Amino acid sequence: MVVDADRVRRELEAIVGPRRVSLRAGDLDTYARDMWPRLLLARRDGAPPASLPTAVVWPETAREVAAIVKTARRLGVPIIPYGGGSGVCGGVVPVFGGITVDTKRMAALRGVRSRDQVVDVEAGLSGERFERELARRGYTFGNFPSSIYCSTVGGWLATRAAGQLSTKYGKVEDRVAGLTLVTGTGDIVDTDGPRRALGGPDWTQLILGSEGTLGIITSARLRLSPAPQLTVFRGFEVDNVAAGIEALRRVMQTGLRPAVVRLYDELDTFVNSFGHHEHDPERAHFQHTHAPAPLPGEGALPPLPPPPRPAESRGPLERLLGLARRKKDGLRGDAFTALLDRPRFINTVVGAVAEKIARKGCKLIIGLEGARLRTEVEAALTFAELERAGARDLGEEPGRAWHARRYAVSYKMSGVFRDGAFVDTMEVATRWSNLADLYYSVREAIGRHAVVMAHFSHAYPEGCSIYFTFAAHADDRAASERRYDAIWKDGLEAATRVGGTISHHHGVGLLRGPFMAGEHREAMAILGALKKSFDPDDVMNPGKLGLPSARWGSV
Amino acid sequence: MTDLAAALGRLVGDEHVRPVPGQPAWLVTPASPAEVADVIRSSADAGAAIVPVGAGYRAARVRGLGERPRIHLSTERLDQVVQLDETSLLCQVQAGLTGLALEKILAPRGLSLGDYPPGILGSSIGGLIGVRTPGKSSARHGFFEEAVAGVSAVLADGRTVHTRVAPRRSTGPDLARALCGSEGTLGIITAATLRLHRRPEARLVAAFLVPSVAAAIDAAFLALREECAPAGLRIIDAAEVRAQFPGVALGDSEALLVAATAGPTDLAACDRDLIASAVDAEGGRAADVGLAELWWRRRFGLEATPEPGPMFQASAGPGELTAAYHAVRAAVPGARLHVSRFDLDGAVVFATFVDGSGAALTGDALAAALTSAEAAATRAGAWLLGARPTALDPYLAALRAELDPRGVMNPGALQ
Repeated sequence: MVVDADRVRRELEAIVGPRRVSLRAGDLDTYARDMWPRLLLARRDGAPPASLPTAVVWPETAREVAAIVKTARRLGVPIIPYGGGSGVCGGVVPVFGGITVDTKRMAALRGVRSRDQVVDVEAGLSGERFERELARRGYTFGNFPSSIYCSTVGGWLATRAAGQLSTKYGKVEDRVAGLTLVTGTGDIVDTDGPRRALGGPDWTQLILGSEGTLGIITSARLRLSPAPQLTVFRGFEVDNVAAGIEALRRVMQTGLRPAVVRLYDELDTFVNSFGHHEHDPERAHFQHTHAPAPLPGEGALPPLPPPPRPAESRGPLERLLGLARRKKDGLRGDAFTALLDRPRFINTVVGAVAEKIARKGCKLIIGLEGARLRTEVEAALTFAELERAGARDLGEEPGRAWHARRYAVSYKMSGVFRDGAFVDTMEVATRWSNLADLYYSVREAIGRHAVVMAHFSHAYPEGCSIYFTFAAHADDRAASERRYDAIWKDGLEAATRVGGTISHHHGVGLLRGPFMAGEHREAMAILGALKKSFDPDDVMNPGKLGLPSARWGSV
Repeated sequence: MTDLAAALGRLVGDEHVRPVPGQPAWLVTPASPAEVADVIRSSADAGAAIVPVGAGYRAARVRGLGERPRIHLSTERLDQVVQLDETSLLCQVQAGLTGLALEKILAPRGLSLGDYPPGILGSSIGGLIGVRTPGKSSARHGFFEEAVAGVSAVLADGRTVHTRVAPRRSTGPDLARALCGSEGTLGIITAATLRLHRRPEARLVAAFLVPSVAAAIDAAFLALREECAPAGLRIIDAAEVRAQFPGVALGDSEALLVAATAGPTDLAACDRDLIASAVDAEGGRAADVGLAELWWRRRFGLEATPEPGPMFQASAGPGELTAAYHAVRAAVPGARLHVSRFDLDGAVVFATFVDGSGAALTGDALAAALTSAEAAATRAGAWLLGARPTALDPYLAALRAELDPRGVMNPGALQ
């Protein structure tokens, strides 16, 4: 499609003025991608983006966004909403070109209605600034993804994100009182209303997770919790994954709501080497406030200590990559992974590494926080329930060590992409009765191509999510991409086959689009109808969510 | 039209197609989701409208359809539990089973739908989901639609959809929510997967007298903010206490606060203590626990509740709740009020309108009382039962046009 870029520029400048529109090559290149590891593979190879936006625009109000959408409709070009660019599924890739709308200049925290415990916040506010401002007022929203320094509130809502404390506070979709959306027709609508409203579907829940395909979320009313008065961490050890799953299930079904539950499988337990990290109690003290630390040189707000860094240079990802590379020296990945299922053989084949794995069992980190009295009672009940389920108490240290390093992993990613290796994560979920099936099936599928480890986090009374981390290596970019695609195809198809969902909180974007039909089957008809009603001209982020597009063709 | 009735008779059996007296309508009761799809397809092809009806069917007259033939589609024969997953606390049930019938199946297994008073579970599961009727069960268990982990439904073109069940997912909008509350306009729900709860280890009740309704409301939110999650909490004003709990001595401005907490024993006790200290902070004092026990027995229908019951309800957020209470109180002299269904989003004000002798208002007097109560509550910022935001109606219309271009599905609803 030929787009008159100069006309796009003139039309956008008429809406927001010349300073908030850019057609500069550097900007277009930057906005052509997010943190999807597959794009990093190309980047590492020096390849230019496969597609660029026509223009980038930074609106400051919902009204400006509406005018931009109407203009795009008139000109027949796509709109791609862009938050922090921290997505890992390619959701902001301008597959068919178009206008990339960066929301980051809509970043006001408009106010907290203290009586209702609801905050009115604009979509472009960064997660870390959001929590820091709330902490100052004595609240927390409770969403602490490891991307908190580089993701936005709007991005969270558009993808149904989850944070590390979601077991208590819920995923973001559990915390929304109302949304303001600029729809694909350029109208501004609010979904606020009483939760007890009768008649009509719950629009908020139909917009959350739409990843910009129905419209652009410009602000939201979100439910808050008081900042926690007490935080309690504890590490436990269980014999194996199955015992850990059972222990978590019991806790959740007793009605207890720990903030953090993380059960690491044997390899993840080994790679994370709990307790081997230096732990500075003074720094940990700061990190117990909910405010994440600011980035260097930033901040109208009082400075806090810098982002946590691993105390030793070999973080978990390097350790995992070490295993991935090790296999190149002789042992193939599938053989290695398969051996994890047969501990009898591990000693003889893999030697000291695996011996350590077999001996250690699985680590389980539990954290509780909240109002003082209830947290104390819940902590005692939770620990008792875990011990009844056979978990052995390791004291506070493993939990504190995790807490001190909880955001560190995301910042280690880029270094890992040297030397032809790559890492990525795959988060799936299902009900408890199906969880072991999902774990073994997906692990086996990924393990055909990569070294894979997993932890179970984000637990619910009816089930739990599994977070797989995998590392692999190939000799050139084409081979890396082939291997990368094979991992995802086999992994997600395995998840669908055993009845799990293909994503717990990272979203769909481009990565999972081809697997949406398997995920939703006939119900895709409802998604397609929603798309047509909110975006009749198909201008909103086309090519995403696995939605077919008659206008733009296939991805 | 009789052709359609005959055709439907061949599909589901003649005895399951009955004419509705006085209307161009038939009551049809299919026995399986496949039959539901067949009925919808045949009716749509014949130009008839589908009107879903649940348990307690009374041949409601649908407005705005003129002489268009209509099929009252009842799911009452879809009454099976499809799967009970006690490991995951999930239960897949067909839409025609009533909430009460399901509770009877669950109770011997130590399971339950949640802290619902049985009175609101008499409808079919499909009806409860389709109109989101029961609302919130308690601060502990949340809203009914939040218990819906997945639905199966037949769309206007006869296609059956099953939304996949997962604890949470990040794969686009929650498509099951399109069918919750849509009153059959987007699809006929044939089955649902519901989240269940285990019967609690302990259930404790407590009663308190508080100097005013406003102070009692403040105490309730104080406790909720300390993360107390009661199974039930009700604030009853003096007029209502005198009618419902004769013999309790309290001043005109005082209020009775009754609460039930549940869960592991320590947690239930913790929640009860949180309420007690919040009441204490608001100047209240403990009252005869027998009052709370009586309230709880009545709530579960173990003891008769004195008539008349509430005729009016309005929900309000924490910021508007006290004002809404006082507005309704002032608008209708002699009204008896209580405030219930608390969580951090607010609560519901219930009112009973009676004359000087304590008999329920009827006819014009009741209509006048309702009119002034509704006006007063709305002015105070409360939402009336059945109210809904209309900002997105054009999108609902477009969604309906997309899924149901012939306007077959409950065309009179949600207009």
